[in-house]
Amino acid sequence: MTAVRVILIGIGLAIGGYGAVLVWDNPPVIIMRIVVWALVGVVLHDAVFAPLCVALGFAGRRVIPGKWWQPIAVAAFFSVVLVFLAIPVFGKPGMRPDNMTVLDRNYPLGLWISLAIVWACVPLFYLAVRLLPVRQNEVVEQESAGDVERQPPAL
Amino acid sequence: MTTTTLRGTAVTARVGLALGIAVAVCFMTGLISHFIQHPQPWFFWPTRPVWLYRVTQGLHVISGIAAIPLIIVKLWSVWPKLFERPLIGGLVRQIERLSILVLVGSMLFQLSTGLLNIAQWYAFKFFFTTSHYAMSYVAAGAVIVHIGVKLPVIRRALGEPVDDTPALGPSRRTVLRGTWLAVALATVVTAGQTIPLLRKVSVLAPRSGQGPQGVPVNRSAIAAGVLRSARSPDYRLTVTNGATIRAFTVAELAAMPQATHRLPIACVEGWSADAEWTGVVLADVVAAVGASRDSDLRMISLEPPGPYSRTVLPARHARDSRTLIALKLNGQTLDLDHGYPCRLIAPTRPGVLQTKWLTRIEVVP
Repeated sequence: MTAVRVILIGIGLAIGGYGAVLVWDNPPVIIMRIVVWALVGVVLHDAVFAPLCVALGFAGRRVIPGKWWQPIAVAAFFSVVLVFLAIPVFGKPGMRPDNMTVLDRNYPLGLWISLAIVWACVPLFYLAVRLLPVRQNEVVEQESAGDVERQPPAL
Repeated sequence: MTTTTLRGTAVTARVGLALGIAVAVCFMTGLISHFIQHPQPWFFWPTRPVWLYRVTQGLHVISGIAAIPLIIVKLWSVWPKLFERPLIGGLVRQIERLSILVLVGSMLFQLSTGLLNIAQWYAFKFFFTTSHYAMSYVAAGAVIVHIGVKLPVIRRALGEPVDDTPALGPSRRTVLRGTWLAVALATVVTAGQTIPLLRKVSVLAPRSGQGPQGVPVNRSAIAAGVLRSARSPDYRLTVTNGATIRAFTVAELAAMPQATHRLPIACVEGWSADAEWTGVVLADVVAAVGASRDSDLRMISLEPPGPYSRTVLPARHARDSRTLIALKLNGQTLDLDHGYPCRLIAPTRPGVLQTKWLTRIEVVP
């Protein structure tokens, strides 16, 4: 495995190094803009997006009953994905009047409908989990120390 | 149960594996597109199946978009490591942190610029194609280094069961299932611009697939500045082979034997559409100036000089019987935005190289 790792790291460094050379071919001001764009992405994730998610997660745990956590957490994640995908099209910032075949949908409507469908699935999921037959291992998994009966009395 | 147990290498390695596959597909299809546009002597690009570029470039954008939910979960699963002690540590630790910074920075760069580019939103002040190309090597290299560094951890994590037994709320299994569903969701809401079946449900796709004569447009006649020249009565299609020169009026082209082929137009931005093109077989036109079947052709547009106003068509595509100088699209005279009076349409070529408003074809010696 050590040999494979050394080879992988070697190949990776060579390919990445070639990329760095290609970036280096640009004028300094362009290199700066590329580097800044990449770093802003990291900072936005690490210092804004991730802490925000953690804060919302903690708040959600206090406010929302435990049985709803699972579908709500998944729906929240889906919403984040939909919002990210909607950012470049929502306000059609790239639209040009000479070409109406780009950005030719009603994106706000599309986003709201898709979000509505995602959140409509939350109560459906909750109901399905309650109504569908539950396997025994899932019952056991849901149990905590309080659910376990005490040792039967010795005769 | 705490969040820290929900995170963990069992999730990271599995989502990472999927992300690695998405990145590999994205990188390879991106390289294919690059080398079609910047041909190298060793690069071979076939003319069949005619939808080949439609598939590779569609996959490029689809896999890039699929990587977005994957990278969100991947980063979520490792984010607490950012605060692990020692925060600074020794040289090895600093190199490791730097390599992760390069990895995350280049990946976010690629995904964000790609996503903005398909919506034609140029919020960044650098040239998209060259920087996206250069950073693709940085990202791919960083991913491979990362796999090399983490290989023992990955192998161990993939061998372990995912299960944890939460008292309440989401389990690791939920995280994984949710991730795969999110990839499906991201694909469904955007891939309709490539996969006609999904057109109606792809509510966030930059293209609905509509356009003049049923085909979307990337560069309009207004943007290309050809409104007057394309409709001029003096228009001629000039074909040259050294000193041999022939000029065709639109009527003369229309009087030549016509062929009709169903060919896709597939844009570098990932959208594509099938259409019925009618026109003169290109090989017949260049035969009129006695060109060899092994010659590349330079296709020149009425559009004033710019990055794509002249392109070189490789001999393999030039002699293909389905490569047309199209005069009609879906049974109607070519719309001005689709390249009236005539345009190139060849199998397996990126849309940007299907030169519109053709004015001159030169046999490359």
